[in-house]
Amino acid sequence: MKLVISKFRKSVVFSYFVSVMVVALVTLLCYPLSNTQQYYLVSFILLFAVFIMAAFMTIGPVFLAAALSSLAWNYFFIPPHNTFHIEKTDDILMFVLFFSIAMLNGILTTRIRRQEQLAVEREERTALLFQLTQQLSKAGSIDEVLKISIEEIRRNFSANVFFILQDGNNILYSSGRLQKDKMLNSDEYEVAEWSFRNKQEAGALTGNLNHVDCTFFPLPGTKLIPGILAVKPPFQVAGEKRTFWLTFITQVSNALEREFLAEMAGKARLLDESGRLYKTLFNSISHEFRIPVATIMGASDSLLNSQHPVNVQNVLSNEIFTASVRLNRLIGNLLNMSRLESGKLSVSLDWCDINDLVNKVLDDLKDELEFFTVRVSIPENMPLVKIDFGLMEQVLYNLLFNSTQYAKPGTNIDLLCDFENHGLQISLKDEGPGFSEEELKKLFTKFYRVKGSKTGGLGLGLSIVKGFVEAHSGTVTVENNHPSGAIFTIRIPTEVTDFKNLMILDDHE
Amino acid sequence: MTIMNEKETVLVIDDELQIRRLLEITLSASGYKVLQSSTGKEGLVEAATLHPSLVILDLGLPDADGIEILKKLREWYSKPVIVLSVRDSEKDIVSALDNGANDYLTKPFRSGELLARIRAALRSVNENPDNNFLVFDTLSIDLQNHVVRKNNEIVKLTSTEFLLLSLLARNEGRVLTHQYILKEVWGYGYIEQTQYLRVFIAQLRKKIEDNPARPTFLNTVSGIGYRFGS
Repeated sequence: MKLVISKFRKSVVFSYFVSVMVVALVTLLCYPLSNTQQYYLVSFILLFAVFIMAAFMTIGPVFLAAALSSLAWNYFFIPPHNTFHIEKTDDILMFVLFFSIAMLNGILTTRIRRQEQLAVEREERTALLFQLTQQLSKAGSIDEVLKISIEEIRRNFSANVFFILQDGNNILYSSGRLQKDKMLNSDEYEVAEWSFRNKQEAGALTGNLNHVDCTFFPLPGTKLIPGILAVKPPFQVAGEKRTFWLTFITQVSNALEREFLAEMAGKARLLDESGRLYKTLFNSISHEFRIPVATIMGASDSLLNSQHPVNVQNVLSNEIFTASVRLNRLIGNLLNMSRLESGKLSVSLDWCDINDLVNKVLDDLKDELEFFTVRVSIPENMPLVKIDFGLMEQVLYNLLFNSTQYAKPGTNIDLLCDFENHGLQISLKDEGPGFSEEELKKLFTKFYRVKGSKTGGLGLGLSIVKGFVEAHSGTVTVENNHPSGAIFTIRIPTEVTDFKNLMILDDHE
Repeated sequence: MTIMNEKETVLVIDDELQIRRLLEITLSASGYKVLQSSTGKEGLVEAATLHPSLVILDLGLPDADGIEILKKLREWYSKPVIVLSVRDSEKDIVSALDNGANDYLTKPFRSGELLARIRAALRSVNENPDNNFLVFDTLSIDLQNHVVRKNNEIVKLTSTEFLLLSLLARNEGRVLTHQYILKEVWGYGYIEQTQYLRVFIAQLRKKIEDNPARPTFLNTVSGIGYRFGS
């Protein structure tokens, strides 16, 4: 800051110095004319010099040049020479005229320049505002709006700002929305709160509650005030720049308000959705859970109360076992869904051999897969990948289980694993009925069940697949297989092992 | 299965009556003598007085956390402990194994699976710990001379591969966590380097398994570790 001021001073002093030097130089150059009667010509030359200076300098140095040149003209050129005395009345008139013209000349030229400069500045500001508006319109969330705004304000006003937003119920938070480390102390919070309630600037360098070390600007909103803008260290703008500043924060505020309303609408929608979710959930639970429970009750009751031959006993026991496996799967899916819904799903990435993963799933599903031909393809040089084994096991299990439910026994199921472009790719192809266009679109939606599907599911399997894959920052897509069936493809970005490096370890004794 | 001279006793510590009843029926049918406790404290007393061959421990006990009971039990009890719990997070499983459980099975479980785990746990105890020659089906390991044979043919193993295989084989039936294996084979500094383990297990499988894609000796326990089985 000090450096800037000293630079500024230097430049002002420098331009005064230049104006003195120019007058001196022109006077010196014209000096040979002093003994002639050409002193009117000299006055024009000096006037021209002042005019030129006015085009480059501020009003002060131009004034100085005008005064100096009229005095120099008087002293050196108007007879009698080397005195300030003027003999002829018309010379006195000339001197006064010269001084006035030089002054007016200076004033007018600098004013024109000033206006020109203002116009340029205004244009620049308009361009900056336009740029800001454009950037803000691209922002898709509150945090993005804030990120852009903080950056732009730092660039255009050299001010360090943070945003204190409200929680949607007109209560201000006490720390910055993006910058959680920017906490307000109780004094500052009081001032911030006042500024928010009264929609006025407050804090340091303002007329309101200026006992804190921070300046607060309310964000002007049309429907609601999204919050306030805090500047630390304190900040002040005046004049044209202030108008620019206010327009700037209005733009920011508008964008913020837009995102704020969108977020609130999103929350409302989410509430609505979770309400619907619960309704569907309870409907599904009561239906889907009762079937296996009914089987277990019926079969065990029959075992208890009737004398059955051994083979019938076996059939009944088998029914009980199958029903309990089904119940267990339903509970597992519900638990997984609630982990996803609660947002508390933690992905713990660890090195994993895809062969292990595939074996585990094939083993878990060996009863269901008994009548299918499963063809697994994993490249010989498949590297280790960093994934959450448990989650991916569930993903593969659900996909493979679906295939066993919809494809006819005796058909092929292909499981292709590959590694390309820094990603793990797993494709599962079956020869089942495939899906209609409508079904392809809705397949990953919670509780969506394909028409005519077997009973025994909640319609959660594929949404869990999607959720778990996305928790790995991956994608899952589905398309139809030819001539029939479905292809599910999972792509997950992951690190890989460098086998060459690892082999060195084998020298370990 | 080894022929038992006298009935092996299994102590079940679980507060759920239904589970205890189910275990009693299943285990008795397989020739075990079953003892039961419904609380952790009672279980500790029974284990101390009746010296069971194996303990099946639930983690969600009414009077104490199962892990605490496990720690207390492990202060003097050296025979196998199998944890049987509804807790299925990797964290819980690893914690139980690190605190001395030989194996971990989540509820609901298949009786056949439980019996297999019990057999494996008991067999490893019944074997002579000084035995330097281990035989598993088609695989034999000479711990003293560092010789491994598969179908009577010598399998060439690197020193690390041998260390890894012998560690797992000596603990047959027991789940060894990734961290434990890494610490034992590579040393403390490598405890996070699970990729080494994966790579060496894959190599070992190629050398000793009939079908490396369907291993029978080196079994993966998802997200937890490995169990040697035969």
